[in-house]
Amino acid sequence: MSAGSAHARHLAEAGRLANEIRLSVEQVSYAYSANPAQAPLFTLEATSLQARPGEIVAILGPNASGKSTLLHLISGALAPLSGRVLLNGFVTQSLTPRTRAQRIAVVQQESALLFPARAWEFVLQGRHSHRRSLRFESEDDVLIAKNALAQVGAADLSDRWMNQISGGEKQRVILARALAQQPLLLLLDEPTLHLDIAAQIGLLDALRRLAAENRYTVVVVTHELNLAAEYADQVVLMQRGRCLRVGPPASIYQRELLEQVFQTPLSVELGSSGRPRVTVLSGT
Amino acid sequence: MRPLTLRRLFLECSILVLILFVVVVIAVKFGAVPVSLYALGRDLWHVLLGQRADLSSDYVLIIKNIRLPRILLGIIVGASLSVAGTSFQALLRNPLADPYVLGVSMGASLGSILALIAEPHLSISPALASLLTPLGAFLGAGATIAAVYFLGRREGQIDSATLLLGGVIISSFLSAIIMFLMNTLSGNLRGLSFWLMGDLSTPLQKSAYWFLGIGFLLAAGAIYTTAADLNLLLSGEKEAMHLGVDVPRVRLVVYIAASLLTGLAVSVSGAIGYVGLIVPHAIRFIFGSDHRTLLPTAALGGAIALVFADTLARTIVAPTEVSVGAVTALVGAPLFIYLLRRRLS
Amino acid sequence: MKEFARLRPRSAVSAATVALLSCAALTCAQSAPPVSSASPAFREVTDEVGRTVRVPQPVRRIVSLAPSLTETVYALGLQDRLVGDTDYCDYPADARKKTKVGGAINPSLEQIVALHPDLVLATKGLNRLETVHSLDGLGISSYATDPHTVEEIITSSKKLSDVLGVPEAGASVAGEMQRRLADLQQRVGSLAAKRVLFVVWTQPLISVGKDTFIADALRHAGAVSIVDSEQGWPQVSLEEVARLQPEFLVFADSHSDSAFPAVEMLATLPGWSILDAVSNRRFAVISDAVNRPAPRIVTAIEDLAKQLHPDAFVEKPENGKEKMEKENPPPDQPPSWHYSFSPDALQDRLTTPGGRACAH
Repeated sequence: MSAGSAHARHLAEAGRLANEIRLSVEQVSYAYSANPAQAPLFTLEATSLQARPGEIVAILGPNASGKSTLLHLISGALAPLSGRVLLNGFVTQSLTPRTRAQRIAVVQQESALLFPARAWEFVLQGRHSHRRSLRFESEDDVLIAKNALAQVGAADLSDRWMNQISGGEKQRVILARALAQQPLLLLLDEPTLHLDIAAQIGLLDALRRLAAENRYTVVVVTHELNLAAEYADQVVLMQRGRCLRVGPPASIYQRELLEQVFQTPLSVELGSSGRPRVTVLSGT
Repeated sequence: MRPLTLRRLFLECSILVLILFVVVVIAVKFGAVPVSLYALGRDLWHVLLGQRADLSSDYVLIIKNIRLPRILLGIIVGASLSVAGTSFQALLRNPLADPYVLGVSMGASLGSILALIAEPHLSISPALASLLTPLGAFLGAGATIAAVYFLGRREGQIDSATLLLGGVIISSFLSAIIMFLMNTLSGNLRGLSFWLMGDLSTPLQKSAYWFLGIGFLLAAGAIYTTAADLNLLLSGEKEAMHLGVDVPRVRLVVYIAASLLTGLAVSVSGAIGYVGLIVPHAIRFIFGSDHRTLLPTAALGGAIALVFADTLARTIVAPTEVSVGAVTALVGAPLFIYLLRRRLS
Repeated sequence: MKEFARLRPRSAVSAATVALLSCAALTCAQSAPPVSSASPAFREVTDEVGRTVRVPQPVRRIVSLAPSLTETVYALGLQDRLVGDTDYCDYPADARKKTKVGGAINPSLEQIVALHPDLVLATKGLNRLETVHSLDGLGISSYATDPHTVEEIITSSKKLSDVLGVPEAGASVAGEMQRRLADLQQRVGSLAAKRVLFVVWTQPLISVGKDTFIADALRHAGAVSIVDSEQGWPQVSLEEVARLQPEFLVFADSHSDSAFPAVEMLATLPGWSILDAVSNRRFAVISDAVNRPAPRIVTAIEDLAKQLHPDAFVEKPENGKEKMEKENPPPDQPPSWHYSFSPDALQDRLTTPGGRACAH
């Protein structure tokens, strides 16, 4: 499929589905056990959520709450024990890896490279699912990769080696590769984990702009309460494998609820933007 | 941005074909019996012009029946080992993977030996019997790489150190079995220790070259269809899957094809080490690590390296021949240590 | 030539000019009948491994792939026809000067081809089957021997002399060997056989199996190997040897003088002192001719017999020697080489006349 027709399809779908549900997670559950004979080590209880184009969904919770598991179920990397995940009405699990990669882009926490590659080579990897296996990169592919780098403000990194750029720069290049996939759904697993504050804000600002411009549906896993409050349209609050609440930040950010989930005293106030702001109280 | 083009691939391959040609000419010239290229060219020219009825039988016998088949074997085996090494490095996400280091060659050797032992006890036609050794080598290679793969997997991810350790242990275990077989069985296993070190000196049946050549093209071709996938596989199986790689399918294709290449190479030439390690690294250093160019250029590079090593092996102390495996190990083992240290630092 | 033309597409490189040239030229070359120095006469013989071999007549150029075959060729007086031998062919001294074709396991095929041999001699016990097959592929006749007993060495030499066109020389060599073995039989045949361990290698301890010509050679010398193995070259444990306590340890060495200190060293090796033969210095060191299935093995057998059964040779050693010399005068030979398997030759090579039986 050429990039041109992909783009056309993209626009058509964007228009038609602007106000429709793009991602629908329906009663999805999961159980992980090292030994089938034993009780599962970890379970995710039935979870449901829905997201529209252009929407940013934050999956929020402390460690081991099942955030990443939920993300992997959405990406199709894990098969749910029950329930299903629909993307534009298709079950993501039953798509071929190629088709899935054309619709869903996943940004992992860390990307390890075995042999050194330049940033542009890395971003071009995002075009893999749009190419026939033996074809070389087309002009379109190169253009899309260039745009993707520009969109995350990393055009100047193009010829740098991946192992010689900073963590924040690397995260931008990884995001650019995901954009080069021209996905409908963008999944990010703790994208801000190793970034300083400025890089975190920069990345999430870019993400919000991109979601709005390209009508991506974005799902971000994070445990940064304030970043989620600031950037998410919906928050999925998780604790010990259970989904406690789904809704806009304002409805989720209640002091008692968050204190109970995060096991620490905190205060919640409403910021100037109308979004809640959390302060962790130490030492009481 | 300078993306890969077909033109660049052709350019890189042509350079290597040229080098290979020079190495082949050198290999034709040097050997236990001195051959003057000038005299050969002159005589050929005279024969072409009809000034002479035929070529000296020395040329016909030595060059055509001994050196060229040996060079051809070196080309196929070198290319096979190099492509297998490149594939294992991508499949196992380990730059130090090599059929020899991982014990796969040893597995193929054991498979060949078992086939040799079984052959007299099976009542099959000679044509089938000649396929038995390559088949045994293929199965041996496949079983070994499967064992190494499962030994090297920890919590769903391949652990580099465990993988190499597993390869070393399996390799020594298999060579112990081979030693055991060689100690307990006598007779037809003579010369095995020589073959085990790697040997290209024995000319094969004409049909064997066809068999090898077609086998190489099929297996290397199958691996080449996954070239773009292998690029992504290097960043991890999960990441490759998210980028659209059908990881289980690619793994299966590469696993079978690379085992086949190793098995074919070992069944005709014994365990020649380090070609699959040195060559892909050198090629990556020169032409980059994109498998769409790496695979064909590594195949050519492997052919160059092995033909050259074999020329050394047969000329250093001519007419006595050194095992070509000894030559490649002499160069390869220090390089392996260098790569290992660079990786650890 | 068609085969060569078929070769071409498989090797990408030979598409280049020189290869193309040679291809075309060889095609022309092939159209003419092959002209070689060999006359068209052939004789079909079956060799000792059951192959039917076409031997050009007469055999003018011989390449030997084993020291034993080289020795046999010299014993038959055909040294002038021997155009190549292996790195290990060191007896007689002249054999060292022949063109070398490499080792016995991995000879250089092209060196063999370059020597234009009419016949290549191989032996199953030393050479590889692959080498013989490769020679077949190159259209070079090869003849393989496979003796397992001393008797077979004699018949093998005889048959080889016939193949090489000198049956009289073979008959004389065989007759001499048989006569000397019969003489030996007369002296030691009735005596109780000494139980010996033939030591091929000490670390690890490797001996010979019962089906080898060496084991048979021991029997002819009035000895019996304590190792009863089906294998050719079994590795045996010192413990097992200690249990069987051989009366003598037998060593073969090409340099008998240097072998003796090495044998003395054995007593100091850990573990070996548990052998009575070691603590009593019951060693017999014979020439490495015993390792080679060639006529000279008789000399080694005689030497061993003398060391193991000195009493059987006490009465009239001078007579025996004289008789032998009378019946078998040394043939006229050029001084450049000397192949001899008469007892004198060995006596000269040993520093201690009468062998090295140190039974006291």
